[in-house]
Amino acid sequence: MTEDPFEAIKATFFQECEELLADLEAGLLALENGEGDDETINAVFRAVHSVKGGAGAFGMEALVRFAHVFETLMDELRAGRKPCDDATIKTLLRASDVLNDHVAAARGAGAPVDEARSAGLVAELEALTHGDAAPAASAAAPEADEDEFGFKPVQFDPMDLAPAAAPATSGGGDWRIVFQPNAALYAKANDAGLLLRELSRLGEATVEIDASGVPMLDVLEPEEGCLSWTIRLPGAVDEAAIREVFEFVDGDCDLAILRDEAEAPPVEFVAAPVAAPAPDLDITALLAAAQAQVQAPAEPAAPAPEPAPVIAAPAAEAKAPPAAPETAANAPVAQAPVTIRVDLDRVDRLINLVGELVIQQAVLAQRVSETAMIRATGVGQGLEDLELLTREIQDSVMAIRAQPVKSVFQRMPRLVREVAQMTGKQVRLVTEGEATEVDKTVVERLAEPITHMLRNAIDHGLEKPDKRVAAGKSAEGQVRLAALHRSGRIVIEISDDGAGINRERVLGIAVEKGLVEPDTQLSDEQIDNLIFMPGFSTAETISDVSGRGVGMDVVKRSIQSLGGRISITSKPGEGSTFTMSLPLTLAVLDGMVVSSAEQTLVAPLAAIVESLTPRAEDIHLVGGHTPVIRFRDEFVPLVDVAATLGFGIGPEPASTGVALIVEAEGGAKAALLVDAIQGQRQVVIKSLETNYQAIDGVAAATILGDGRVALILDIDALVSNTRRSVRKPDLKLAS
Amino acid sequence: MPAASAIQTLIVDDQLTMRSLIRASLQQIGVVNLREANDGEEALRAMIAQPAHLVISDFNMPNLDGLGLLRAIRAHPPTSKSAFIMLTGRADKELVQRAVQFGVNNYLVKPFTAGQLKEKIEGVFGPLT
Repeated sequence: MTEDPFEAIKATFFQECEELLADLEAGLLALENGEGDDETINAVFRAVHSVKGGAGAFGMEALVRFAHVFETLMDELRAGRKPCDDATIKTLLRASDVLNDHVAAARGAGAPVDEARSAGLVAELEALTHGDAAPAASAAAPEADEDEFGFKPVQFDPMDLAPAAAPATSGGGDWRIVFQPNAALYAKANDAGLLLRELSRLGEATVEIDASGVPMLDVLEPEEGCLSWTIRLPGAVDEAAIREVFEFVDGDCDLAILRDEAEAPPVEFVAAPVAAPAPDLDITALLAAAQAQVQAPAEPAAPAPEPAPVIAAPAAEAKAPPAAPETAANAPVAQAPVTIRVDLDRVDRLINLVGELVIQQAVLAQRVSETAMIRATGVGQGLEDLELLTREIQDSVMAIRAQPVKSVFQRMPRLVREVAQMTGKQVRLVTEGEATEVDKTVVERLAEPITHMLRNAIDHGLEKPDKRVAAGKSAEGQVRLAALHRSGRIVIEISDDGAGINRERVLGIAVEKGLVEPDTQLSDEQIDNLIFMPGFSTAETISDVSGRGVGMDVVKRSIQSLGGRISITSKPGEGSTFTMSLPLTLAVLDGMVVSSAEQTLVAPLAAIVESLTPRAEDIHLVGGHTPVIRFRDEFVPLVDVAATLGFGIGPEPASTGVALIVEAEGGAKAALLVDAIQGQRQVVIKSLETNYQAIDGVAAATILGDGRVALILDIDALVSNTRRSVRKPDLKLAS
Repeated sequence: MPAASAIQTLIVDDQLTMRSLIRASLQQIGVVNLREANDGEEALRAMIAQPAHLVISDFNMPNLDGLGLLRAIRAHPPTSKSAFIMLTGRADKELVQRAVQFGVNNYLVKPFTAGQLKEKIEGVFGPLT
C-alpha cells in the first residue's frame, strides 16, 4: 500500500481499465457478430469514456488524446449519426488494440506505443467521425469552457433540508390530486415532472405513480401518456394555487382534485419514505417515471389512449402495479456479488499456511494414533472433526485462487486478428466456457500454449480464403477455443475447420529429420502425434508465424510441467482439434502412498488404473532380461521403482510385491512394482526443483503425517523410460 | 455558511476510480460525510432510504444515467430539495441545458481538481467552513 492516496487510486484505475478494455472488446466483438444493439454501442462508448475520464484525472495525455478521438466517434455512432457498419467495427477493433497499448504504456508495463500506428488510427477514426470533411478541431483542442454557457449555480438553501414544519391544521383534510397526462400534453412539450415539482413547492407533497398503464416494451408508444400520478398535499394549501399549476395543461390531461376526510400524519424529512410503504415498488415506479420522461419526445403524438379509470382506482392498487414497471424501466438488475480486491501475496501466504496446516494436522493425527489415548478419550473424534475442518479450509482457500479462464481467453481475439492479417486469412474466433474456473497459476500458464496453438491453428490449420472457397467452404475460417471441466480437470479445446493435418507431409518431414525410419508403418493417429516430437517443427519451412522458434514439443512440455496432457484429432478436409487437459490446481494431489525398499513414495491416483499382486506365471522376460507382466490382454513392462530410481532393490515380484498398473498420457502403460500400498491420501505438493533439483522419474515431493519427506512419482517419465528400453528404435508417441 | 463536515454527500459513479477520486478530493476539502453508489438506480435507492444534502453524480452510467437520477430525485418529494452537482466528461452544452431544465444545481467538467470541486460546492452552498 502506498502512502499517497492518489497513487493507490491510480492502481485502482489500471485494474479498472483492464475490465473496461475487456468490456470494450467484448462489446465490439458482439457488434461484429451482429449480436449487438444500441445498448452495446452505449456500453462501448461508456468504456472508452471511462478510460478517458480516469486518464484525464491522472494527466495521461497521450491516452486521453487517443481515447477522446475514439470516444467522439462512438458518440456519433450511438447517436445514430454515423452508421455502425462492418468496416467501422473493424477499425474500432484495431483502435481498441491501440487503446490497450496506450493504457499499457501509461502504466509503464508495455512497450512504448507505436506512434505511427496510433496516428494512423486517429486519422481513420477522425475520417469516420467527420466523413470526408476535415476534422473540425484537433483532438488536443481544449474542450469548451463551461463559462460560455452562462451557467449560474443554483443556490441551495440549507433550510430546505430541515424537517418540514408540522402541517397547519386546516378545516379540511389533505388534498388528493390524481393527474394523468394525455399524449397532447407531451406533444406540447410540457413536462409532467415539472408540474409535480411545482406542486411540491406548495407544500409537503407525496407522490405516488401508477405505472400499471404502461404496456410491454415492444408495444410501448413512448409518445403516449401511460403514467398517472396521485399527489397528496396538506389541506392548508389553497385550491386555487393547485389549479394554477395545471393552468397550461388544462384539457391535455385527466385531472381530479379531491379533498380527503382523514388527515395524513405529519411528514419528517429524514424519515422513511412516506409515500412508499413498499419501497421496492416505489423505486421501480420512480425509475419507470424517470425513464419514461427521458423518452418523452416533443413531437406530435398518436391519439391519446383510453383514459384509465384512475380516479376510481384505489391507491393500494395503484401502488402495486403487477409487472408493468419492470418492463417500462430497466428491470432491476440482479445484485452483483460484492467483491474486495486483495493482494495476491496475502492469498498465497494463506495458501501456504493452509498447506502447512494440512501437513501438521496429519502429523498430529499420526502421533496421537501411536499413543494409547485415542480410545480412552474423545481425542479421536476431535481429530476427525479437525481433519474435516482442515479439508474444508483448504478447499475454500483454493477457491479464492480459482479464476475464470476469461482473463486468458479475452487476450486471444487480438492475437487472432493480428495473425489473420499477417497470413492473409479470414478468421472468426469463437470462444466457449470463459467462466470455467481454475487455479490462478494454471490460468497464467495457459496463455502461452493457447497462444501458440491458436497461431498454429490459423497458420497451419486454416486455408487461404480462395482455397477454402474452392473446397466449398466459406471464405472465413473458424477457430474455436473452449474450456470445460471434465472429471476434476480443466479441458481446453482448440479446433479449426481447416484442411486437417497433411499426414503425407508430416510423415515426410519426420523421415527427413530422422525421427522415424522410412519404412515404418504408422497409424493416422501416430502420424498426427509426430508433430509433438522434439525436433519436429514445420514452422521454418512454412512460415514464421506459428513457430517463433518454438515447436509443438515445447508446447507439450510446458503442458506436461503443469501436470497436463495434450492430444490431437484431425480429419482431412474438416480440420483439427487439440485437446489439453490440466489439473485444476497445482497445490494438492490425490495420491496413493506406497513403500518400496524402505522408502515411502506417492503415485498420482489419476494415473493408476489398477493394482494387483503379480503371479509368477504372468511374468515373462523379453529378450531374456526385460520383465513384462500380463495385464488383461496385453503385456506391460514391469518396473522396479526402487531400482529405477536407484535407491535399492524392490521385492521379488512373484512373492511379496504389489504392482500398480499406471497409464501415462497417450495410453502407454507400465506396472510399477513396489513393496506395499499404505493407502490413499491427499498430499500437498512441494516443488523439488525449488527446494532441491529436478530428478528424472520424480515429479515433486510432499511431507507425510510422520513428518518424513516422500517423493511423488513422475508416471509419464517412468513409463516412457521403460518403453525406451523395451522397444527399439524408440518412437515415443503421445496422444 | 455550512460546515463542510456537516454536508451529507452521495457520490454516484459507475467507476471505482472516479468514486475514489471524488472521495479523496472531498475529504481534502473537509467534506467527510460520504456515501457511494454505483449507478443511478443504486443512488436512487440510497436517496430514498436516507436523503443526502448533496449528490455528486456522473452523467454517463448504466441502468439509470445522471439525468434520469436527477429527474427521479426531483420528482420524489423527500429528496427533491437535495443539491445536485453533475459531473460530465465533456462540456456538452445541450447536456448542461437539459440538466438545468431538470433542476441541476451546478456541474463540473472532468478532469477536475479538489479546488474546482470546492468552488462548485461553494457555488451551491455558499462558502464552506
